[in-house]
Amino acid sequence: MAEEVPRRWRDPELLVKALPTVILQTTCFLAPLVMTFLLTFQRSRNFQLQWTWDLWTWTDIFSKPHYWTILLHTVFMAVACVAICLVIAFPVAYGLATRFKAWENEIKVLITFAFITDATLKIYGWALFLDKNGMANYLLGSLGLSPEIVAFLFTDWATLLGMVYSLLAFAIFTLYLSISNIDRSLILAAYDAGAGKLRAHWEVTLPLCKPGIWAGSVLIFLLSVGAFLEPKVLGGGKSPMSAELIRQTFETRVNWPLGAALTLMLMVVSVFIVLLFSRLIGLKRAGLAS
Amino acid sequence: MTAKLEGRVIDFILWGSLAAVLIFFYVPIFTLIAFSFQEGRFLTLPFEGISLRWYGELFRNSNALTALWNSTVIAVVTTLIATAIGTMAAIVAVRYRFKGREAFQLLAGVPLAFPQLLLGIVLLLWFSVLGRIFDFSTGITTAIIGHIVYITPFAMVIVAVQVFNFDATVEDAARDCGASTYEVYRYVTIPLLWPGIFSAAIFAFLLSWGNFYLTYSLAGSTRTLPTFIFSGIAIGSSPLYPAIATVVFIPGILLVILANRLRRS
Amino acid sequence: MTAILDISDVRKTYGSYAALKGVSLSVNQGEFIALVGPSGCGKTTLLKQIAGFEDPDSGHIAIAGADMAGVPAAKRPTSMVFQKLALFPHMTIAENIGFPLKLRQKSPTEIKKRVGEMIELMQLKTEYLTRYPRQLSGGEQQRVALARSMVSEPKLLLLDEPLSALDVKLKKVLQAELKRLHRSVGVTFVHVTHDLEEAMMLADRICVMRDGAILQLGTPGDIYYRPAGSFVAGFIGETNLVPITVTKRGEVGIDYRSADVSDADGRIAARLVAGNVGEGAAQLMLRPELLRVLPPGETADGVIEAEVVEMFGKGGTVQYRARSASGLALVVEIPGTSSLPMRIGDKVRLGFAKKDIYVFRAEA
Repeated sequence: MAEEVPRRWRDPELLVKALPTVILQTTCFLAPLVMTFLLTFQRSRNFQLQWTWDLWTWTDIFSKPHYWTILLHTVFMAVACVAICLVIAFPVAYGLATRFKAWENEIKVLITFAFITDATLKIYGWALFLDKNGMANYLLGSLGLSPEIVAFLFTDWATLLGMVYSLLAFAIFTLYLSISNIDRSLILAAYDAGAGKLRAHWEVTLPLCKPGIWAGSVLIFLLSVGAFLEPKVLGGGKSPMSAELIRQTFETRVNWPLGAALTLMLMVVSVFIVLLFSRLIGLKRAGLAS
Repeated sequence: MTAKLEGRVIDFILWGSLAAVLIFFYVPIFTLIAFSFQEGRFLTLPFEGISLRWYGELFRNSNALTALWNSTVIAVVTTLIATAIGTMAAIVAVRYRFKGREAFQLLAGVPLAFPQLLLGIVLLLWFSVLGRIFDFSTGITTAIIGHIVYITPFAMVIVAVQVFNFDATVEDAARDCGASTYEVYRYVTIPLLWPGIFSAAIFAFLLSWGNFYLTYSLAGSTRTLPTFIFSGIAIGSSPLYPAIATVVFIPGILLVILANRLRRS
Repeated sequence: MTAILDISDVRKTYGSYAALKGVSLSVNQGEFIALVGPSGCGKTTLLKQIAGFEDPDSGHIAIAGADMAGVPAAKRPTSMVFQKLALFPHMTIAENIGFPLKLRQKSPTEIKKRVGEMIELMQLKTEYLTRYPRQLSGGEQQRVALARSMVSEPKLLLLDEPLSALDVKLKKVLQAELKRLHRSVGVTFVHVTHDLEEAMMLADRICVMRDGAILQLGTPGDIYYRPAGSFVAGFIGETNLVPITVTKRGEVGIDYRSADVSDADGRIAARLVAGNVGEGAAQLMLRPELLRVLPPGETADGVIEAEVVEMFGKGGTVQYRARSASGLALVVEIPGTSSLPMRIGDKVRLGFAKKDIYVFRAEA
């Protein structure tokens, strides 16, 4: 629990413990971000960085709709990913917080392991599973069904599947935490007031775990706009998303200023969307209250 | 009667969705494990036979062994540093009250919500520019730094849960018993936070061990298991790669189970 | 008698909140002193300054003649029993009790011997030594906490409301235990509590605090019968405060007038008058058990006429609430075996002896 008495930064107990984090995150997180921003004012000629200090890169970005189409596609995929994750995660998180007590630990271990395992491996596993000659088609075939999944790999749907797969655990855990923090007596009170279980659920549980839903959504959204492996391996790189575009800009075109600008553009737009949504939700809440 | 029926329906939905989600989570994992036992050269069904052939190949493949070694080194160093910094940050963020507390919490936690690929790129730019000035190139050290930046916030959050449930009066009690600042940490604070620190270390190890994005951007020509496998996907692969994947799973499942045991005891 | 603890003009401020506003207190060797007051009065803050967890903004604290400024808690000859006990959950009972000795680099055999002695002193079972705190009951944990505090033979034992979380029955047992312990070891106890009744039972002297200052320091008898003001008077038990006007202050006592009291001579002897009473408005205090219901024809030094409005049985005694002609509410407590049963609505005459009353200045 937090102390009552405030400490001063001079206090060695505080300084020694806080300083490593402050140094680490300023030199290896904030400073690189600032430098990325500064790089966008330079130019790249013949694969060489030139310190020109102009707005060339930004004018280039704002004049080509290509970048914005990809960004829009990325945001669209991210929003879809958030929505699907929430819908799938809710019953699991709810069960975990209320009904699965006996198996809670085992279930958590299973989910945690799947979550913590490296993304490359899992995406690779999906690629093998969904492959033309892979597991899915083999299983479908042996069930006597036509191999429809062939068409599934290397589409946006496969990308989306991969993204949901990679980020679902975040939704489960944030929702689980907020549902287990709900005072059970409130739900019992709703039953008591004559509400059926589904109704109690809808009118009590759901509104009360809004913070969890919101936290999970923001996290998943921010992480999914950066998805790279999924569109590349499962989507087959056919309809690239921003991360892939940025990667190419750096790797193939060796254009650092443009890559930096695209990175910032992606970050700024996603943070803007998050803020916009939180403002909308805030307004709605204020509207309800008045 | 209707209430009972409703309860059944809810149970069915809840358990059903749990089962579906678990199957969903384990589809690619079991696919990889299955393919690793494939006798033939190709990653297609039906299997030509079942064997451990590719595990043998794996241990004769010097690139794979180097990748295994690199993964281990990066993960061990990252774990030690990230857990130490994260533990200290957790105590500061949860326990201490000081000017700029919110700013500290934000700074310490924000890399959690930052896409790894972008973090990797931003750091790559940073190291490239610094590398030009100070004459170094990316490699195992820069990869470790990247891992630490990304993993320390995770470690902090995990330890913070433990700090949150920690009653600080036992530290006062220890001091009152005659313990110096160092002795308070040694005999009281660290033993009591140990379950949290240990889980944090396990997670740090696993996040680093399996990390692809940051290693891919920051390790230069150094290969770890995940980047080695990624290159394999691109080449058009053999069951060697599923075999490596299965090897990568082993410490993961063991450590997750261990962490869970410890938290419960 | 020598002062083991000397506190002079200690001040402590948290931000803009003054927790201690210049507290001075001297505690004698071997004394059992209780710091009492409502929450937020500064009693725990004072204890923290004595223990060395915090340093006062100004003022001095000396223990056994040595100034404690800049001496950390670990180096002070004090030991604290915490409200939440603060036993180390990861150590066994033996390790908990032996911890202060371990830090003092004592040999394992010596630690074992001393821990054994403490276990015996605290009347704990020896098989508890290898158990963990959570396996013990609340009362047993309390004894372990006491044992841990006593093992290093502190000069001052500081108790921060250690009994407040216990149920009433267990509390009584441990209060007796504390008293016995204090007698048998001869260590000075400073006991913080918000329960004045507990302080009355245990302490040699009681220090009543309010708003960061000491209101009164005295024996339990002083606090009960000769409180420094209506706050202290009202802090324990019930009391009757009768408004009076002091008309003259003389050498032997004061002359007064009161709307409620019909009095033989309107005088009070001096020794029962608080020092600061001057002429003008004052209050006359009477504990409920010092009022007597007068049988017809009998009289007393002072008489108040009233009407019974409510009655409560309290087992051994009966408590009556009455109202005087001028509207003053009064509480009387008489033995249940009294031969004068009263009913609601009865007119009664309440008498008191001059020697039992006490006068202090009316507070604004």
